[in-house]
Amino acid sequence: MLTMNKINKIYQTDMVQTHALRDFDLQVNEGEFIAVTGPSGSGKTTFLNIAGMLEPFSSGQYLLDGVDVGRLNDNQCADLRNQKIGYIFQGFNLIPDLNLYENIEVPLRYRGIKAAERKRRVEQRLEQVGLASRAKHLPQQLSGGQQQRVAIARALAGEPRFLLADEPTGNLDSLMARQVMELLEQINREGATIVMVTHDSELARRAPRNIQVVDGQLADFTLYQGNPAAAVGA
Amino acid sequence: MSELKPIFNALRRSKVGAILLLLQIAITTAIVSNSTFIINEKIAYLDQPTGYSEQDIFSFEVMSFGKDTNFKLQAELDEQALRQIPGVVDAVMIDSVPLSGSGFASTFRLRPTGEKSKGVNASMFQGDEHVLNTFGVKVLEGRNFYQSEIMVTDNYEQYPNIALITKVMADTLFPDGDALGKSIYRGDFPLKIIGITDMMKGPWLSSERKDRSVILPFVMARKLTQFMVRTEPGRRTEVMQQIEPLMLQLDSKRVVENIQGLEQVKDGFVAPDKLTMRMLLVMVVVLTLITALGIFGLTMFNINKRTKQVGTRRALGARKSHIINYFLVESVMICIGGLVLGAVLAVLLGQQLMQHYSIAKLPLLYVGLTALGVLLISVCSVIGPAQRAANISPSVATRTI
Ligand SMILES: Nc1ncnc2c1ncn2[C@@H]1O[C@H](COP(=O)(O)OP(=O)(O)OP(=O)(O)O)[C@@H](O)[C@H]1O
Ligand SMILES: [Mg+2]
Repeated sequence: MLTMNKINKIYQTDMVQTHALRDFDLQVNEGEFIAVTGPSGSGKTTFLNIAGMLEPFSSGQYLLDGVDVGRLNDNQCADLRNQKIGYIFQGFNLIPDLNLYENIEVPLRYRGIKAAERKRRVEQRLEQVGLASRAKHLPQQLSGGQQQRVAIARALAGEPRFLLADEPTGNLDSLMARQVMELLEQINREGATIVMVTHDSELARRAPRNIQVVDGQLADFTLYQGNPAAAVGA
Repeated sequence: MSELKPIFNALRRSKVGAILLLLQIAITTAIVSNSTFIINEKIAYLDQPTGYSEQDIFSFEVMSFGKDTNFKLQAELDEQALRQIPGVVDAVMIDSVPLSGSGFASTFRLRPTGEKSKGVNASMFQGDEHVLNTFGVKVLEGRNFYQSEIMVTDNYEQYPNIALITKVMADTLFPDGDALGKSIYRGDFPLKIIGITDMMKGPWLSSERKDRSVILPFVMARKLTQFMVRTEPGRRTEVMQQIEPLMLQLDSKRVVENIQGLEQVKDGFVAPDKLTMRMLLVMVVVLTLITALGIFGLTMFNINKRTKQVGTRRALGARKSHIINYFLVESVMICIGGLVLGAVLAVLLGQQLMQHYSIAKLPLLYVGLTALGVLLISVCSVIGPAQRAANISPSVATRTI
């Protein structure tokens, strides 16, 4: 579903050149749940942003569902993001002036979905994350864990097949983090492919496949098969 | 675009920025529409037709200091000499100069003092049968004075009993249009209307009596007199240069002063109005610039503080055009709110100005045009920041906390 071939990303600031990704190769298959770990500054967010088409890459090839992302123009990228990708942020990124219902509606409006269908989907997602009774609340009236669940509902509303999460539990305490993790696992069981960056090794171990980014490259990856004890290196 | 509702809802929740902008727009609309109206009124006042070809007319004063001058005789001699200068159409000795801001006025009634009757205040001009021709003003009905009807005197023992009046004055006193041949009274003295003249503004342009004037066939010869001269087009300067030598040649015991074109006479009177107009104009320009900058700055601020939100929206699939549209629609919404409030404020301010200063009622056209202008400024000031916002990388959603 996702194939990256020799992706390079170089950040050019006034004097310094940062090689954030070097010859980055990765293949992600439909239905996988991958946890990405690695030291700070190693390029995890950069990788996820490129995967989510939030920023361009310097060289290499990136195929998403067979589409060569490097050849798309800005509008095509926006449309593809809207249809195929759900992005979950460490800081939740709910829009503060919109209530929960309106927040979840945002990607649906960009897709031009009719009001009745939007209502159906928003309500279904609110139900799924257990916040149906809070539809009219503003984000600031919720706890962090609740906000992240709304953000997940928003990411899911457009029924993307590919969910990208950058430290989704980074701002949450461990109980809330576990709730969010359970939600993600459930979504994965329902068929979505998930790539999640995390610093939490315990959460990482719950993912069936772990990869590590070190210094802009895929260092090694470990495949846990359900039970962490049965992990096999590759 | 089905975005109207969420944009409106979001606006309601993030009040401060929007309200500041809305107030700025409202105040600008109120002040600019009233000021432009006042400026236009002033321009209309300054440019109003006076009834005179001001470029061809001039006036001057003569002050005699001779002990044994025969003023009555000298007046006749002066007028004759003036009328004979090549290029002069006509000249007259007259007691007050139109548009000058100084002259005589009195109340004229339909009946003598003591009887209740309609009356109006009007300016008075006293001179001989050459007054109208020197002014270049036509008789519309009836006739001009005959030479035999003119009283040349140096005292007030007799007073004329005929008069010419302007059309506006005739229509005010006699709405049925039958003024000719009727009498009006100055105190107890009757004056028979023998002619009705075309427009000729009186000495005070700002007064409501500016269109009501009475001409009397009465020449008062004395030490201090004024003359008016009308020349053929283009020959005024040439004639004006000959005045002082000529007058002194006729009688050397006097001083000739204030030889001035009629438009200069008028300029002297309307100078304060011109100043007010210029000050208002400067104020409107400065105010418009300041508010344009203010609207621009506030819009920029309102957009810049939402950088992360824009990144998030882009990450969720917004095209650049969606972002631009969002800010445009939002700005138009605020603007419409501001313009509605501004229109109300403009009318209220107009009413206040009307009560406290002599200013006409503010026509709604001015409010409408100003509102259109402010809308244009708002839309223009939002396009730049909105475009920059649209160019924000979606990655700021992940890179900034
Ligand atoms: N916009 C940018 N301009 C310049 N350099 C950047 C930019 N974004 C990231 N970098 C650099 O690229 C490298 C990789 O950054 P990245 O954010 O991908 O790291 P990360 O693995 O997500 O780190 P963390 O675990 O702290 O989130 C870092 O050295 C960072 O400083
Ligand atoms: Mg990161």
